[in-house]
Amino acid sequence: MQDRMARSLSFAWFSWKNLWRRKLRTLLTVCGIGMAVGAFVALVGFSRSFEHEWLRMYESSGTDIAVVQKTFLNTSVDEMAGARLQSLSSVAAATPMILNMMDLTPEINALVYGWRADSYEFDGLTLMSGRRFRDGQPEVMLGELLASNLHKQAGDTLEIQGSRLTIAGVYHGGSALEAGAVIMPLDELQQIASLQGKVTAFHVRLRPVPAGESPDAYLKNAQAQIEAALPGLRAVPAAQRASNNQIVLLAHAAAWGTSSIALLIGILGIANTMAMSVLERTREIGILRALGWKSWRVMLLIQSEAAALGLVGGVFGIAIGWGSLHLLAWLPRTSSITPPAFSPSLLLQAMGVAVVAGLAAGAIPAWRGAHLLPVEALRHD
Amino acid sequence: MTSPLLEARELRKGYDDGRIAALRGVSLSIEAGDFVAISGPSGSGKSTLLQLLGGLDTPSAGQVLYRGEALGRAINLDDYRSTEVGFIFQAFYLLPTLRAIENVQVPMMALRRESSTRAQRAEALLCELGLEERLNHYPHELSTGERQRVAIARALANQPTLLLADEPTGNLDSENSARIMETLIGIQKSRGMTMIIVTHENDIAASAPRHIRIRDGRIESGKGAS
Repeated sequence: MQDRMARSLSFAWFSWKNLWRRKLRTLLTVCGIGMAVGAFVALVGFSRSFEHEWLRMYESSGTDIAVVQKTFLNTSVDEMAGARLQSLSSVAAATPMILNMMDLTPEINALVYGWRADSYEFDGLTLMSGRRFRDGQPEVMLGELLASNLHKQAGDTLEIQGSRLTIAGVYHGGSALEAGAVIMPLDELQQIASLQGKVTAFHVRLRPVPAGESPDAYLKNAQAQIEAALPGLRAVPAAQRASNNQIVLLAHAAAWGTSSIALLIGILGIANTMAMSVLERTREIGILRALGWKSWRVMLLIQSEAAALGLVGGVFGIAIGWGSLHLLAWLPRTSSITPPAFSPSLLLQAMGVAVVAGLAAGAIPAWRGAHLLPVEALRHD
Repeated sequence: MTSPLLEARELRKGYDDGRIAALRGVSLSIEAGDFVAISGPSGSGKSTLLQLLGGLDTPSAGQVLYRGEALGRAINLDDYRSTEVGFIFQAFYLLPTLRAIENVQVPMMALRRESSTRAQRAEALLCELGLEERLNHYPHELSTGERQRVAIARALANQPTLLLADEPTGNLDSENSARIMETLIGIQKSRGMTMIIVTHENDIAASAPRHIRIRDGRIESGKGAS
């Protein structure tokens, strides 16, 4: 009776059968595109979560504007500019800060912030143990993630650049960039890093928006006021600073550059598979053409196979990317920088990239296959 | 006066930049419902003629008219092959990854028929040809005779007016060969189809009411042909 159960042949089923006839080749191709998409998901996801955490850090502290050097990223803003900044009518609070990256142990590096003990940025942190550090004292505070990675607690000591510093407290931060960071007195960091009188930026909280004025217009006016008062410096809104600072841009560029190379290799893998498949199936393509299949329908069949390779590779790649991001979040060297963030837009982008990669790779083999003369294709051995 | 169903006018076909002439000016006309056998020695051009009549290839010179209209000009070759012609090949040319019932549905996919309709029609055709127990078998699980019957079912899938068979018994033993010919003649009669068979077997050629002999790319004998 099983023989009598009629099976209808759909286009998708036909494509799948063509792919599955060479199981090993199909699986290897899926692995290839999967690795490429996995690299894309992991690298782009990593750089995006970096940006996201940066924004969260500003939001949790209530920073509206960052005042930075117009051109340089380095710590070269004159600390004395703070007094002028504080005197402006739109500024409620301005606090200097230094941002640096340091190797704390051979395995663990972390962001190190230099703040003043009275900085409003402490508002975004919750003290979990110990106390806040004091200016001018060899003390630090550790984010809970970093404290855990270093197996340190309040009262222990930490050595930075040869200086022995007491861990005054351990805090919970709103952002992974804080949870995995060290915060220490600005003057102490300036001394350790030989940056006396210099800061990376001023973080600014604006006064409340006056009635009748739009927040956007108020922000723009404040920017203009700050830049007019401090020539050579740039006032950047927090959201823009989070997405458009050199570190984040560099991370994005590196992520896209590296994953583009991986994707190119993946595309070549699919192109090779599809070219081999079309060559092997030349006679079968001739049969389809002899049975009245138009060129575009043959092309659609081959392209659907290429797209399916991309799609399955994409799903596999997302799984690899997800695993990689979790691995990065677990490794001490990278856990302090970012948590595994997986946005729906990244998933859609990854699937889109995978399918487009498949279609691009299948285009030439599909065109060649579809334009074979039926009689010549039938003669093919 | 009505046009013949199929007409070849001074067909010429050359290969290798014309150095090899497969057909050297063949003209013939075939009426609806005719059963025609084309025979000749190997390399005589009989398969080339069938390929041109079936729209699988285009002539170097001359033209093929279907119901008075030129193939490749007034009539699109893909449309012609999908709606008007059913092909049967010596080597069956079944798709190895598809079951018998799926193979029969392949030509119907060119016409965008509903998948359930396709499956029902494929099943009906295979049952008609005595393959009701072989619907879900792959080509390699079928005997050569069964494979050719699947190929016949596939050729009939889109209810063509023309059935073109190129050495349909060439790969079969005598018993299967006789059975396939009996099937083809039965189909031609019951459906009133026009059938053209290319063969090198004299007894098969003799069984057709009209027999055209071809040699060295020219018609040697045959009523209505030159």
